[in-house]
Amino acid sequence: MYLEKVLCRNFRNFNEVLLNLHPNLNIFIGANGQGKTNLLEAIYLMATADSHRTSVTSELINWEQKKALIQLKLEKRNGDLKLACKLSGSQKEVEINDNPLRKVNELLGYLNVVLFSPEDLKLVKEGPANRRKFIDLEISQVNPYYHHLSGKYDHILKQRNNLLKNLREKRFKSGKNTDISMLEIWDEQLIEIGTKIIKKRIEVIKKLKILARLAQRQITNGQENLQIEYESSLDGFNEKLKENETAVIFKQNLVNNRDKEIKRGYTVVGPHRADLMLKINKMDVRKFGSQGQQRTVALALKLAELEFMKSETGEYPVLLLDDVFSELDSSRRKTLLQIIADKIQTIITTTDMENMEGLRNNSYKIYHVNQGRITERG
Amino acid sequence: MEAYPRPMGKLIGELSKLPGIGPKTARRLAFYILGQSTGEVKNLAEALTEAKEKIHYCSICNHLTAETTCSFCRSPERDQDVVCVVESPKDVVAMEKTGEYRGLYHVLHGAISPMDGIGPDQIKIRNLLPRLKDEIEEVIVATDPNAEGDATAMYMAKLLKPLGVKVTRIAHGLPVGGDLEYADEVTLSKALEGRREI
Repeated sequence: MYLEKVLCRNFRNFNEVLLNLHPNLNIFIGANGQGKTNLLEAIYLMATADSHRTSVTSELINWEQKKALIQLKLEKRNGDLKLACKLSGSQKEVEINDNPLRKVNELLGYLNVVLFSPEDLKLVKEGPANRRKFIDLEISQVNPYYHHLSGKYDHILKQRNNLLKNLREKRFKSGKNTDISMLEIWDEQLIEIGTKIIKKRIEVIKKLKILARLAQRQITNGQENLQIEYESSLDGFNEKLKENETAVIFKQNLVNNRDKEIKRGYTVVGPHRADLMLKINKMDVRKFGSQGQQRTVALALKLAELEFMKSETGEYPVLLLDDVFSELDSSRRKTLLQIIADKIQTIITTTDMENMEGLRNNSYKIYHVNQGRITERG
Repeated sequence: MEAYPRPMGKLIGELSKLPGIGPKTARRLAFYILGQSTGEVKNLAEALTEAKEKIHYCSICNHLTAETTCSFCRSPERDQDVVCVVESPKDVVAMEKTGEYRGLYHVLHGAISPMDGIGPDQIKIRNLLPRLKDEIEEVIVATDPNAEGDATAMYMAKLLKPLGVKVTRIAHGLPVGGDLEYADEVTLSKALEGRREI
């Protein structure tokens, strides 16, 4: 799929921006604070129904205006689509081919994007929360039910943690062990939804690990073998367990950790504590990898995400590279350009053209971004 | 300087406390009320205080009533062996609209939610227990299909099953009369999970 046209009206610092994009490579050059990332944010919003930078919708509207509009013309394998999102105050309304949708979330699944931003460079190095978010977002884009499940799981978790805090207080005051029958009620829901999340993650990681391994070999000329495993927080868990067996293990873990959980006042086991194990040639790259290796793995994960979405939806998503192109060294940039050439529409933002060697003629368009205005370089 | 005389401001303030009423609607309602005749306004005020004073919870099922017990609990025509447990009186109205249900009700006035400090003691579960001594054979739990409603349902199952009562939960799934292709993925997945043999 690729974006043919993008219209942003009163979005962030734009007044009116209309772009006819190149089906392959689009490079947006501008100094910091001119609106490059705003453009990517607008596109990302149309894919996920959410901004990756803020949860406050009113921040997305130009401060001198009351309403904003994003409109996209999307070229897909089986025809073209017009997507629109109207923002007004804290309200979002979405339309497909001029037909309003009942829920904003129904927008999911039409436009698929992979965003690679400077934060993603920390994907490998920093805490497990980043890696969980990576997996969850990826599954949600191709499976709206998973999006619902993970939201529900978070909600149940919040309720259960509140209960654990209450139990901790009660035990502290009375010095006695408290009644845990209420906890068991929340356990059942946590296990039911949590087990479904674990099974779906395992299923996706199984595909992803093969794709990431290929990508890593491609970027490093076959030097490095990347290995990915799901690192569960559950004792006695392995990937071959069936859904009901996983539920039994989950329950056992909760029972074994009762005391610890009440002492700490939160849930200590479950999919919200899982991680992705990332190894290069058998070394844990999260802890022991060099900065260069960690970046390569982050890039490999993103490339794997592209291929995964292709395999799930039949089409390559649109790749959004926010200021990361210049962060990669020249050989990785070259590999990346080779991979996207002629098949993946890519939108790159950068502060200068210095690192853009090796572009083929007629395969790209260049735009200048200056104070919320975007002009195509002729 | 104030834009309205003080009593007007007070009226707008009280109206805007109501659910679904923002400052603009409150203002519109206030101006409308001022335009009404004294008699009409008195009727409204009386209706408000009378409803508040006379209506309380049924001593058996906690539904709203102006007597000691509600019309469902008093009626000999309702099936006496089945009780439907709901979160609020609004749900009783919804169930009654079906015209299908002929049993009794029990209104909890809430659902278990630790986040809001609501446990089993904060909702009206306890006075369901004495009712089960009579001829009740089945308790249908019709709490909302969300985390709190499900937790409440599970709590009731744990509480009631040892007493030898059948506890059931209403199904969730596809809306009747709709096309399958228009159902959202979440509802469809849920309906798929709850499928049954025919």
